[in-house]
Amino acid sequence: MPTQPYISLSMRRRGFRRRQRNGAEDGAAVVYRDRSSWALDAQLASRASSGDDAAFTTLVTRFQPAVFRWALIFARDPDEAEDIAQEVFVRTHRQIGNYRSDGPLEAWLYKITRRAATQMRRTRKRRGRLALTPAARPLRDVYTTDPGGRVDRERAATVIRELFAELPQRQREIFDLVDLQGLSPGEVAERTGMKPVSVRANLFKARKSIRDGLLATHPAYGELSR
Amino acid sequence: MTCQECLSELATGSLRDLTPDSDVMRHCSSCTDCGPLATMLREREYNAATILNSLPPMSNPIAVAETAALVAKRRRVGKVVVFLTGAALVATIWISLFVTRIGRDMITGDRPNRALITETFTLSCLSPQQAGDIINPYVRSRGSTYYLSTSGLSAITVRGTPDELTKSRRLIRQFESDPQAACRHSPFEKVDEIQKRSGAPPEPNASPALAPSPDAAPPAKKQ
Repeated sequence: MPTQPYISLSMRRRGFRRRQRNGAEDGAAVVYRDRSSWALDAQLASRASSGDDAAFTTLVTRFQPAVFRWALIFARDPDEAEDIAQEVFVRTHRQIGNYRSDGPLEAWLYKITRRAATQMRRTRKRRGRLALTPAARPLRDVYTTDPGGRVDRERAATVIRELFAELPQRQREIFDLVDLQGLSPGEVAERTGMKPVSVRANLFKARKSIRDGLLATHPAYGELSR
Repeated sequence: MTCQECLSELATGSLRDLTPDSDVMRHCSSCTDCGPLATMLREREYNAATILNSLPPMSNPIAVAETAALVAKRRRVGKVVVFLTGAALVATIWISLFVTRIGRDMITGDRPNRALITETFTLSCLSPQQAGDIINPYVRSRGSTYYLSTSGLSAITVRGTPDELTKSRRLIRQFESDPQAACRHSPFEKVDEIQKRSGAPPEPNASPALAPSPDAAPPAKKQ
């Protein structure tokens, strides 16, 4: 059993703060930033909204891993998460002028990600009858040159399918943000615009659903649950 | 802590907050049934978090940014085109509604035209059919019509707008008061006058050319 905390994003955030305290920001893609980095993000957004393509590219480079990570939870597989992330940046390009720098850019991007994912899911449902089945979808070119990436993605798709397939979107989102990404319920409430009590209720339901499924696979559980 | 309480806590509690000093973990460390379950749960969630959090996006961020800019520009243009097309479509529909008679009928729908008035004109000279023929081209608006008497009365009832009624009244009066109208003279006087002009002696049994009698033809109703 791992003894260290397994919330890697939380660790990443703590590491980032430690690096910031040491004054050594490496400029790599960071998922969660604190208030001190708002100014930099706001400056990037301002330049991007005024038509600076280089600023927009920098912004995409900084936030693409985070957006992709968020999109993973709304998607069926990593390929769909890539599509959602692309759609998020299309919308970001169109709406970047609406961003007000009184809040973190990542929270604004998270809202766009949620909306884009929801809309794409509705569109997918509408077009479901005409679309190819997942098994018939063509493999992306990148898989032919990166077999390791394909394995990683298949593992991620398996995790998504096993843990989240049966959950409503809100529950899977909250479970992911709290238990897998390490945010507190208060932070999740702030980010999603929900009440903290709703976050806790959804978290309770999501944990129960997921863990009941996991526990049921263990042979000792049948004896104990009687 | 019992195994049931431990399972309940494992099923809904935060595994992150399970420190070795917590009741659940102390129970798990001593219970051979609950311990593997707790381990399994933590491992599964740890693995899930690791797999998802360490999976990088495949797309090149520069390509993503370029595509985003291109698609956003296309959508901006598309939005303008859709807006203009929609505005043109709406304008076309409105114009066609106001210009065409079908459109006007659709606009007015089945609403009763409250401006319609019904009035009956007594005829002394014209037959109802003749009066109907005279006013027919002028009683044309929606809901307007005229009714010919079916019982032989020498009258015509007109339903129409005030303008149509005024026009109908004027026309009927004009024809009724025409001194040259056939009804103003006796048929015999007419025959005599014709014979005088032609120089032939009058025939006692000659039948004059008469205006159509009100009873000659059944009254028709215009719809």
